[in-house]
Amino acid sequence: MENKDTKEKLLREFAPQLEKTSPATLVWILFLLGVIAWGVYAFVAQVTKGHIVTGMRDNVVWGIYIVNFIFFMGMSYAGAIISGTLQLFRTEWRKPIIRMAEYLAIISLLIGPGYILLCIGRLDRLHYLALFGRIQSPITWDVIAISTDIFGCLIFLYLSILRDIASLRDFSELKIPAWRKKIYSMLALGYTGLPEQVKRLRRATDIMATMVIAIAIIVYSVLAWIFSVTLQPGWHSTIFGPYFVIAAVYSGTGVLIIAMWVFRKVYRLDQYITRKHFVAMGVLMVVLAALFGYFTFSDYLTKWYGSEKNDESLIRILFTEYYWPFIFSNYIGVLIPLLVIGIPKLRTITNITLSALIVIVALWFNRYLIVIPTLESPYLPIQDSRPEWANYAGTWVEYALMAAGVALFCLMFTIASKFVPVMNVSEMSETPKTESSELFKTEESLL
Amino acid sequence: MEDNNDNKKSSRRQFLKKGLIAGAGVVAGGSLLAAYVDKSKPTSGEKVKVLTTEGELVEVDKALIHSPRVSIEESHKGIPGRKFVMVIDLAKCKNARKCVEACQKGHHLPRSQEFMKVYLLQDSEKSAPYWFPKPCFHCDNPLCVSVCPVGATYKRSDGIVLIDNQRCIGCKFCMTGCPYSTRVFAWKDYPEYAEDKEPYSPEASSPGKEGTVSKCDFCPDLVRIGKLPYCAQNCPMGVIYFGDIDEDTVTNGSETLRFSELIRDRSGYRYLEVLGTRPSVYYLPPVERQFPVESGFKDLEESVKNRFKNTPYGKTHKL
Amino acid sequence: MRTQNKIRIIFFFLLCFCKLVTSAQNKKDSVTEITPSITFTYLNSNDTIILTANIFDKKEQGVFAIKNAIIVFSASGDKETRNLGQAKADEEGNAILKLPVATAIPKDKDGKTIYTAKFNGKGKFQPAIETFSAKLARITVNFSKEDSLHFILVTATQVDYKGSVKPIQKEKVVVYVPRLFTLLKIGETDLDEAGTGKVEYTGKLVGDSLGNIMVIARIEENDKFGNVQGQSSISWGIPKQYYLAERPTRELWTPIAPIWMIVTLITMLTGVWAHYIYAVIQLIKIKQISKKNPGNPENNNKFT
Repeated sequence: MENKDTKEKLLREFAPQLEKTSPATLVWILFLLGVIAWGVYAFVAQVTKGHIVTGMRDNVVWGIYIVNFIFFMGMSYAGAIISGTLQLFRTEWRKPIIRMAEYLAIISLLIGPGYILLCIGRLDRLHYLALFGRIQSPITWDVIAISTDIFGCLIFLYLSILRDIASLRDFSELKIPAWRKKIYSMLALGYTGLPEQVKRLRRATDIMATMVIAIAIIVYSVLAWIFSVTLQPGWHSTIFGPYFVIAAVYSGTGVLIIAMWVFRKVYRLDQYITRKHFVAMGVLMVVLAALFGYFTFSDYLTKWYGSEKNDESLIRILFTEYYWPFIFSNYIGVLIPLLVIGIPKLRTITNITLSALIVIVALWFNRYLIVIPTLESPYLPIQDSRPEWANYAGTWVEYALMAAGVALFCLMFTIASKFVPVMNVSEMSETPKTESSELFKTEESLL
Repeated sequence: MEDNNDNKKSSRRQFLKKGLIAGAGVVAGGSLLAAYVDKSKPTSGEKVKVLTTEGELVEVDKALIHSPRVSIEESHKGIPGRKFVMVIDLAKCKNARKCVEACQKGHHLPRSQEFMKVYLLQDSEKSAPYWFPKPCFHCDNPLCVSVCPVGATYKRSDGIVLIDNQRCIGCKFCMTGCPYSTRVFAWKDYPEYAEDKEPYSPEASSPGKEGTVSKCDFCPDLVRIGKLPYCAQNCPMGVIYFGDIDEDTVTNGSETLRFSELIRDRSGYRYLEVLGTRPSVYYLPPVERQFPVESGFKDLEESVKNRFKNTPYGKTHKL
Repeated sequence: MRTQNKIRIIFFFLLCFCKLVTSAQNKKDSVTEITPSITFTYLNSNDTIILTANIFDKKEQGVFAIKNAIIVFSASGDKETRNLGQAKADEEGNAILKLPVATAIPKDKDGKTIYTAKFNGKGKFQPAIETFSAKLARITVNFSKEDSLHFILVTATQVDYKGSVKPIQKEKVVVYVPRLFTLLKIGETDLDEAGTGKVEYTGKLVGDSLGNIMVIARIEENDKFGNVQGQSSISWGIPKQYYLAERPTRELWTPIAPIWMIVTLITMLTGVWAHYIYAVIQLIKIKQISKKNPGNPENNNKFT
């Protein structure tokens, strides 16, 4: 049961986050807005001058945009799967981090599809997808799946913040403008923790947690099928569905660890998010690293062993032109977490965070290596004297929009944390706080 | 030796040109006749064509004459009772690139967009290089059509796969779906598009539109008036044969052959049959060639020549 | 004298000036004169003579048809020249004139007629002329079955100066079947003394939807007769099958998705959205419970 005193204490502690914005945060937000403005400028350039301003050409028709699309969607699914699983299994250590996972799910889900829009030649005809949609096309599957996913994640997030919103509504010490109070009051749906309400909320949350996991798996498989249903040598693989799902959760775990680290620092949550949480997430990351490594190995081994002509040329490109990105994404990106978590002495918060950072970058390159080299090695050899038509290189427009996406991600995370605490206050007040801080005190002293 | 070759070539070319003209005459006669027989009307009354209006004398570029453009809706239907097929004789191709040029002119394309591409292929290290003209294969199992989310590309009853650039949203999924790198994208609004003043029709693939996909269309707007596609019409070597597979006949303008016999006698094949796309384009292997592969580099623009620099042939011959 | 000279000089300059102006105005018109060429095709088909004059201008950029050019056709024999009529060139440059064979066409002693297609010129377009000589002839096509063999029988006749009909001997006749773009050759025969020839029909050819095929017999580019053709149709062909009815296909490219896909999609979506709706209903219930409850926090809130 909820402990009222603990809750009040927690709310008092989190209140400053919601009440005011520090100058440093303001500068941070302005910086993010500046990056987003750069992205908008790039977008205007792309709309007015055409897609010729990007690095994409007739052979490599999908570039960084699609890489980012996969990347952000991956983070979203990771958020969904992690939060859903932790919720269902009532894992104790989920409490301080589950909110971040939910934010991750919904925020990246709102940004990801934006990248596919950037890749579309005629944005003015976007509604044709609904008007003339063909069920046979994996893109239609994706449109249906992503919109379903957005709704699912929103409902799940809402269910999860409902109790906190109710608490904020009832927390009289909170110094915020009346309109914000009104919003809390409206969104709280009159939740007061009546047994009947608790029962219903729990039932709904569990069902949505299941749904969110299931949908995340389906949606990310659908995304993988966009690639694997084609006949392109590097994509036409049965393993792509599960491979993408695993890679997604893997990268998302990394992002979650980074988010934990950042919020721990910014909001001084040291006593709530402890090394225990990092280690727990780290262990999850290692399991995923192993799975990811296994899938990667299976995929490339089958291609390499049979060495069909086109597979062979693809692998040759990967080991020559793309040698370092390939080594980085598929070797270093797998081995570093294994080492850091595998050797107990190395399991520090900083190390885990650093390896998470490596994982994120590695996984971005992994997607890059899935998309671009394949398109650069089609069945019919590319015979073009123009280098930019034969080999892809992203332009400033694409990188600007990539930066803008990351900035938007950070901005939305920042704003979200200003609206509802980044930790599930209601859930955390269910257990004595001491358990989390004292039990692991010894371990923390190791840091 | 060189001169001799040139002479041979030019005489050959002239012969074919003559053949083409003769062929055209035959076609005119044939089609007229067909119309006459079909209608079974006595023509005895029709002695002199009555001229009502004088009309200004106008010069019309013969290379651009096509049928009146059909509506988008009509373009979905296909020419009734036809199923088109193309046969490309690799033994005769010498990379003259007339097919590419005529196609670009006919479809009002910029230089950077080629519906017809000519590759220099070499299947393995010791096998011989050959020129490989590649249009759209108009597959019977077109993956590009399967993956289109909005039905902007479609297969018609006559086997032709077309693109409606008024419907295309430019997602480029079809481009990755096509294993033959056939499709091209309008990365910007090319000035050439504006040269075409006629209304758009998918059958003409013109005028092009920025942000949409386009490709070889088998020129149904020419076929409708009994003309061969631009590439087949303009190939000086008669490499490209075109026809109705149900009629079992293909022609390159000067030579009309039974499709089944041609494929049987010359061991015709389809490119990358293993992919199961069931193309409508057949190739005749480059045996007993009429030209050495080197002749394809003659009079070639530098930028086009550079395309083949990185091919195995280009590397060994230091292009 | 001097004044005359002056006037001359002024006149000369004026002329020059005028010329400059006009040449600047319509540089193309006055400078480049166009000399068209004519390709003249003669086809003597059963009861009709089809004269086709194709008028064009060959340039560096390609071949240009001269649309709306008026071609005058005439026929001449020994004594007289008769105007046959005129036709306007279409956008391909073809001016076509069809003459019934019954028309009295002038002939020379060999029974030959010289046909002329003439373009008189107009504006910058220079005149052009082309002639062709041919003797009136006729080919009839018949069919016969001997045992299991199919034969196409060809009979060719000619009309001499006096109008009497004689067989055409020793000439080559090519037998075709018309196809979409061109004529497909299915055989050829040399005419015998009686002006007849025989070609075996072996091909499994596709006809129309009823299996009728048109067979055309031609004497081609003959010095005496020009192009002569006769045709007849017979139901020896294979009925033409329509594409969609015949070919088995995978369904994914068709406009309608396969049933299994629609069912799967609907099932999955219904399942998921049903759960969503269930979750939302729980939220609505939570709200309703609070309203029923006397200790409504929304009311409490107002006092704080």
